[in-house]
Amino acid sequence: MIAQILGHDYAALRLRYWCQSGRSAWVLDEIGKELPITVGVVIDQNYIQSLRVLTYRENRGGEVATPAFTDQFNGVSLATNNFIDKDIDGISGATLSVHALTRLANMALYLHRDSGCKDGT
Amino acid sequence: MVRRKRKTSAIRRYHRTFGVAAAVFVLFMVLSGITLNHSNGLGLDRQHVSQTALLSWYGINEPEHLYSFAVDDDWLSFAGQQLYLNDRNVLTLPNGVGAVSTGNMLIAAGKEEIVLLDSDGRLIERLHWDQPGSGPIRALGLLENHTVVVKSDHQIWLADTRLLDWQPSGRMVETPVWSSPSSLPETLYQAIMQKYRGDGISMERLLLDLHSGRIFGPVGLVIYDLLALALGFLAMSGLILWVRGKRKSKRNGKSTSEPGT
Repeated sequence: MIAQILGHDYAALRLRYWCQSGRSAWVLDEIGKELPITVGVVIDQNYIQSLRVLTYRENRGGEVATPAFTDQFNGVSLATNNFIDKDIDGISGATLSVHALTRLANMALYLHRDSGCKDGT
Repeated sequence: MVRRKRKTSAIRRYHRTFGVAAAVFVLFMVLSGITLNHSNGLGLDRQHVSQTALLSWYGINEPEHLYSFAVDDDWLSFAGQQLYLNDRNVLTLPNGVGAVSTGNMLIAAGKEEIVLLDSDGRLIERLHWDQPGSGPIRALGLLENHTVVVKSDHQIWLADTRLLDWQPSGRMVETPVWSSPSSLPETLYQAIMQKYRGDGISMERLLLDLHSGRIFGPVGLVIYDLLALALGFLAMSGLILWVRGKRKSKRNGKSTSEPGT
């Protein structure tokens, strides 16, 4: 399913995450155009609580790191088809980075659900 | 009339000289241009240059060092900043220190990072070495029970079975077997060298640089500019010769058709 969400296999076979009381935190990488974008996602009870760009390495498209863009992900969850239930508005000139962040948000939600991070764990 | 004739023959002479000189260049530009137009279809972007002299011309030299470690039936080699599993480049890992195998996992360490690979060379995880106060990794080794051991400046660290956590060793009761480099088989060495350098320049890049003259640096650009000017001169001189020839034949035709001449 990860390969379906990303359109390719994730670069690593093992991922570490933090989980407490149904909240999990993920640090994920995905290529925007040529370089990886490092993103941190906090998920609370299957909804994205916060998504932040931790490291943006591309020359162009850095607007995706602004809260004006990343706040769109707050409250997003998985639909029944395992894809996110909200359309994310794009930024002209940063299309590939927008897509990369959307895929990572989707992946984090899927991993959270798959990890079984629930209340009391 | 004589002066004009002399001028025309001078233009013709220069036209011929420039034409012969530019012919090879034009043919090369035509052929390389057509090839570049179809470079994707011809797969030139996926083929790489392997000639040593060409790679050296681009400044792609052999790695400064090549350390290889025998792990089970495979070899993990650090060539420059690249890590190779046998002859396959798997990832970037600078400052290689050592490599070991726990049976189901290959482990390679740089001074600041440890990478875990499966037997096919796929990355399992990258572990940044940030144990407080430990300094960079100096050596990687194994205990007899396959526990992975890391030596830093002031401490020896033991990994748990899944390499998720590291603990200072305290008092070691067993001496680890530290990973040490060995000599690669010659064929593997040659294969790694070729891949290390060969992945650097695609045939498409080479052809583009030949087509634009950039392969010869700033001098190449000036030479190509001069050749382009020569082509411009050929076009102009050809046009002048054609117009004059036409005028002349018109005049001759007129003079022969006039009665009594």
